[in-house]
Amino acid sequence: MKRIYIFLTAFMFLLAFGTLFFNETNKPEQIEPQKLLMEIVRPGRYVTTDHVAKMIIQNNPSLEIIDVRNENEFNNYSLPKAINIPLDSLLNKNNLLYFGIPDMKVVFISNDAIAADQAWVFIKRLGFKNTFVMKGGLNHWMETIIEPQAPEQTEPATALDTYAFRQGARMYFTGGKAEISEPSKINVQVRKRKKTNVVAGGC
Amino acid sequence: MGPLFPNGVIAGGWDYVVAVLIGVAFGFILEASGFSSSRNIVGVFYGYNFVVLRVFFTAVIVAMVGLLYFNYFGILDLTKIFILPTYLGPMILGGVIMGVGFIMGGFCPGTSFTAIAIGKLDAVAYLAGLYLGMAGFTMAYPYIADFFNSGYLGHITLTQITGIPAHWFAFTFTVIALAVFWGVLGIEKRIRKNMTDYKF
Repeated sequence: MKRIYIFLTAFMFLLAFGTLFFNETNKPEQIEPQKLLMEIVRPGRYVTTDHVAKMIIQNNPSLEIIDVRNENEFNNYSLPKAINIPLDSLLNKNNLLYFGIPDMKVVFISNDAIAADQAWVFIKRLGFKNTFVMKGGLNHWMETIIEPQAPEQTEPATALDTYAFRQGARMYFTGGKAEISEPSKINVQVRKRKKTNVVAGGC
Repeated sequence: MGPLFPNGVIAGGWDYVVAVLIGVAFGFILEASGFSSSRNIVGVFYGYNFVVLRVFFTAVIVAMVGLLYFNYFGILDLTKIFILPTYLGPMILGGVIMGVGFIMGGFCPGTSFTAIAIGKLDAVAYLAGLYLGMAGFTMAYPYIADFFNSGYLGHITLTQITGIPAHWFAFTFTVIALAVFWGVLGIEKRIRKNMTDYKF
């Protein structure tokens, strides 16, 4: 009887002693689930491909592009100055150093926006601010910046401006020739009213 | 994973079922530990039987250290568990009244039910007194409501007040409890030697 008391006392003491080695700071701080949900629902995290292109062209020093695709895909094609952090190694200690730098805007890119969105949620959950996702990913980048489609004549002037910018951006990124859009040549047909002698209405 | 109900691991409708099962287990352990005998229970005040102290201290330190381990390994989130709000003055007075009732009646509310379960008559009398006291409290409530709700400190813990991490409290309390276990064994032995008859 005594022996088991001694054993249990020693066991309990060891267990309690073990709690002293718990490191309170080994868990990453996370934002509240409600707050995360609000952030996920909000569309403000998306930036357009035009916006990203403009920032790259302007050499904006606060831009930090994180490409979350795997290394092969990254080597194949990526945006200039993009940093490759594959999604599965995003939360490595060294990789986390890229986030939370004051005044830096982090933009996640992937082929579509899905993987980039996942990366955004991971990073947001750890409480990092100023993180964004490029809308539509690199697929949309190809459609809009590398091979922009000419807008219809009837589209508003802003669409024409965007197209002009995209062509310039295309030149910047590919070095290709852009067709300089001249003022549209529309043959204006002047219709002359036929002269008639009949009094046409009037009051 | 835990706590099970707030995290939806167990659906909300099952709380009464789980409560009944835990209640049965609690009552069984109380009875098996000898808590259905008022002589056993008040023995802690007279120094001849410290089973109450041993059982409750064991339960407290096992639960305390266990929760810390659960929290550390991510099984239970300690920030989500319910902490009883503190009303300092009323709680001290309530503790004193509870202690007086404990030593006079020889039961605490839970153990009186286990004693009734095995047919003790003194527990029936105790329970009648318990309900009378509850009725008296309810009727007197308007007069004592101000005091009853005074000294509110919120859902606080010692860690929040002192800033000392919870595991230091757990460790200190465990060491004290273990020392007390061995200390009372000696007291028990000396006092029982001089007792002529001692039956539970």
